[in-house]
Amino acid sequence: MSESPDHSASTEDMPRRGFFVRFLAGFVGFIVGVVPFAAGLAFFLDPLVRKPKPPKKSKDGVIKDKDGFVKMNIAPTALPEDGTPQTFKVHDDIVDAWNKFLNVEIGSVWMRKQPDGDIIAFSSVCPHLGCAVDYVDAEQVFYCPCHTSKFKLTGEKLNDIPPRGMDTLETKVKEGSIWIKYVKYRATIAEKKEVS
Amino acid sequence: MKKLLAWLDNRTGYKDLVHEALYERVPGGARWRYVWGSTLVFTFVIQMITGIFLWTAYSPSAQTAWESVYYIQNEMFLGNIVRGTHHFAAQAMVVLLALHLIQVIIDGAYRAPREVNFWLGLVLMQIVLGLSLTGYLLPWDQKGYYATKVSTKIMGATPVIGPELQKLVQGGPEYGHHTLTRFFAMHAGILPALLIGFLVLHLSVFRRHGIKVPDLKRRPDSTFWPDQILRDGIACLAVLAVVMGLAIYKGAELSAPANAAEPYSAARPEWYFLFLFQFLRFEWVEHQGLAFGAIYVPGFLMLVLTIMPFIGRTKAGHRFNVAFTSVMTLGIIVLTIWALAVDRYDEGHQTSLEEADRDAKRIVELAKQPAKIPVTGATTLLKNDPFTQGPKLFAKHCASCHRYNGHDGTGRMVYDMLKIDGEDKQVVAYPTAADLGNLGKREWFRSLLLDYKNHFASFKNTQWYKARTRQVADLEAELKKAGDGGREAVSKKIIKLGKQLHISNAGRLQKTAEAKRRLQAKMLSDVVAAIDRVGVSDDLKAALDKRKKELERAIKETDIEIAGTKKNATTTPAELKGASADKATVEKQLAKLKTLAANNFLNPEVSAMATWWGDEGDEESIKANGKILFQAKQVDGKKQLANEESIKALVEYLVSLGGRRDVTLDPKITKQGRVVFAEGTLKTGTVAACINCHDDPANKKFRPSTELFSYPDLTQIYSKAWLKDFINNPARQQHYGWKNQMPGFHSRLNAHDLDMLVRWMLGDYVETKIPPHESKVEELTDGLKQRPDYPKKTE
Repeated sequence: MSESPDHSASTEDMPRRGFFVRFLAGFVGFIVGVVPFAAGLAFFLDPLVRKPKPPKKSKDGVIKDKDGFVKMNIAPTALPEDGTPQTFKVHDDIVDAWNKFLNVEIGSVWMRKQPDGDIIAFSSVCPHLGCAVDYVDAEQVFYCPCHTSKFKLTGEKLNDIPPRGMDTLETKVKEGSIWIKYVKYRATIAEKKEVS
Repeated sequence: MKKLLAWLDNRTGYKDLVHEALYERVPGGARWRYVWGSTLVFTFVIQMITGIFLWTAYSPSAQTAWESVYYIQNEMFLGNIVRGTHHFAAQAMVVLLALHLIQVIIDGAYRAPREVNFWLGLVLMQIVLGLSLTGYLLPWDQKGYYATKVSTKIMGATPVIGPELQKLVQGGPEYGHHTLTRFFAMHAGILPALLIGFLVLHLSVFRRHGIKVPDLKRRPDSTFWPDQILRDGIACLAVLAVVMGLAIYKGAELSAPANAAEPYSAARPEWYFLFLFQFLRFEWVEHQGLAFGAIYVPGFLMLVLTIMPFIGRTKAGHRFNVAFTSVMTLGIIVLTIWALAVDRYDEGHQTSLEEADRDAKRIVELAKQPAKIPVTGATTLLKNDPFTQGPKLFAKHCASCHRYNGHDGTGRMVYDMLKIDGEDKQVVAYPTAADLGNLGKREWFRSLLLDYKNHFASFKNTQWYKARTRQVADLEAELKKAGDGGREAVSKKIIKLGKQLHISNAGRLQKTAEAKRRLQAKMLSDVVAAIDRVGVSDDLKAALDKRKKELERAIKETDIEIAGTKKNATTTPAELKGASADKATVEKQLAKLKTLAANNFLNPEVSAMATWWGDEGDEESIKANGKILFQAKQVDGKKQLANEESIKALVEYLVSLGGRRDVTLDPKITKQGRVVFAEGTLKTGTVAACINCHDDPANKKFRPSTELFSYPDLTQIYSKAWLKDFINNPARQQHYGWKNQMPGFHSRLNAHDLDMLVRWMLGDYVETKIPPHESKVEELTDGLKQRPDYPKKTE
């Protein structure tokens, strides 16, 4: 291979053409690199760009009224009179990408009869970091085994581990059954905010 | 800034590396012919980027692979573009590597000292082809599945290790979950890693020897950056534009989900393997066995490529290599075009391609329904779709006699083989039963009512019709020829045949009455047993007693009926009492014979339905009682029948009986139609009311029964329940009864298939935008006319 004497100078000797060529080369290179990557990245951001629609009602699916309350198929008399909390599973129809699942378990709730006879329901998701809260009968408290959060039977927190008390859920009684509006709330914050 | 860069360079030494990379010397100046390697690297990078992003959404299992690809293609944001880019860039890579190889050989860049680099390039070529092959299967659609099956079968043909190799690649004796997981691991992990490894070697060995320059004096030397990079960049931009353009405007296809039980006649490998596909189709290649055409010949070509560095040591050797490459390239191009041309003009293949396209469009329609894709996979959707399964079932079970708008349900004509001039020639087959394209719709009923003869004209093509009518027609002809002398002899023949038909008709009446009696006797014994049961309440006993008396009375009536039919069978009709030579008498005998024959089999010419309005007529002017009822006249330049309104109303009412949801009916017109049906009153004039012969279908549900019906039961006619029963048992009294010639399908079609067929015929399926198959009625009539055995006289 011959060594041209002013090889290294040749490219700096032609400022105009050299600059244009360099700019163009750089620009073209940039375009061909960025375009596919941008398309891929946009595709990757799909969960943020597309908001999934709630599944359409199906006759074999869960029974929901227009306010979003799910029929639990549990009579109010099923709850013990002494106010002991009991846990019940919540069902719903869910859409998972290309599949639709009808009447599947999506979570659980604690329900108890209050002294005044009303029913109160709590989400079993601990507001601290999301574990499942237990009930300890001996102490008559709700207790989360993950990080020892404790709550009164009214839902108020008994120590400062959780940022707020247990999340109550709206209930109503009709057609002989308890109906619950099941909502998921964000953990770790003091405010009771719905997960969007 | 400069200080920061200086610090970084001191710690890493990056400036030297960058300088080394960018300022490679290009003797003779930068050239376009050097771009191919860079475009290949660029295309590979596109594949890595799009591949990894696709990886975040793809699910490799037999139940979720197609489904996840469908989701990417049709629902995810820019999914179709990312997938399309990946698909078309793969094809671009094959083209570019061919160009790169050809350029390298022509420019002699495979010769010393670059032999090892050339071999590294050949290895890279195998890896790229492996990536194509493994990637093709991943959508788990019909095309990819069947095309890859061929490839694994070819692998299985490898001498010695074939079957084991195939099992290893497939992940088992059959295709399944592990085929997909293995292919995916190869495609996304192993092969890309190998490719990167070998690419690094290839590039570093390349830099060791530098670019092979065919013409050193062409231009002054220049550097990789920016001159060659600019050319490379523009070439890459062109590749990107083509690839993404195709992705956006054409889109990667996705055929129906893979189904091992559903043959895919349109199976072809990807276009860059078509040359091999065509090569294997030649008989002289087939004759040598699969291993010859699929393994030895390609293997030999690869071997020649591999030893090219040795062959090319001399000038003559290099010329041979170039020539060999040119011939091979030419051969590949010719074979590819040949394969495409053969397919283009193969009607069977084109029909298969159309069907595959319809299935692909249909599955997307079904997947977009609110119920989405079931957990069992998307094949479930197609298996339960009447629009997809109905035509196939029709073609298989019904098209031997029936037609659907002139074709067999799937758009194909039905053919016969005839011996013409000693040779077997394919001709259009005669339909021997009605065309069911409009079953249950307005056109169907209109044709039935006004044009019965032509509606069932196909019966005349059957053997049973020809046999029966020939007997009567022959006798008629004989009578004409006989004159006074031979008339008595013909009369004797007429009487003989007449008595035969009479006995057979009466016998059937008797059998039906006996069947009714058996049913009534059983019902009676059930009631008696119930009465005798212990612990029956008084009220119930009273009701049962009443029922017992009813049944006993009914049985008495049936016994009288049976006696009557027995007597009828043994009594000769008055007209056929004795042979005669008198012209008028024998004419009466012939007329009686025709009536008996008409009652004995379905003859559309003399059926009661052919002249239900009372008198003779044709569509032009149908008369009844001397009054012209349905005369055609010109209204606004179009031909219309008088009493058109009444016909329309009657038709509307009849369609309403079926309860179809794909036809919107006018309730007012339907009501008017009911009046025509039940009372026979038209806008001007009256006709025999349908209700006089057919039972009243109003407010009844169709129930299969063994009762005696003299005319077809119209209860919920052409509803799902009715049609299912009809197909299973056309010989039921409610349907064709004694005159039935259609086989019953209760043992030939299982419940699911029957459901698919009937729902397709009645339009009961998820709405579709796919256009129905073109009507082939004209092609059918033309094709029949061209048959050498087509009857000469015009009807």
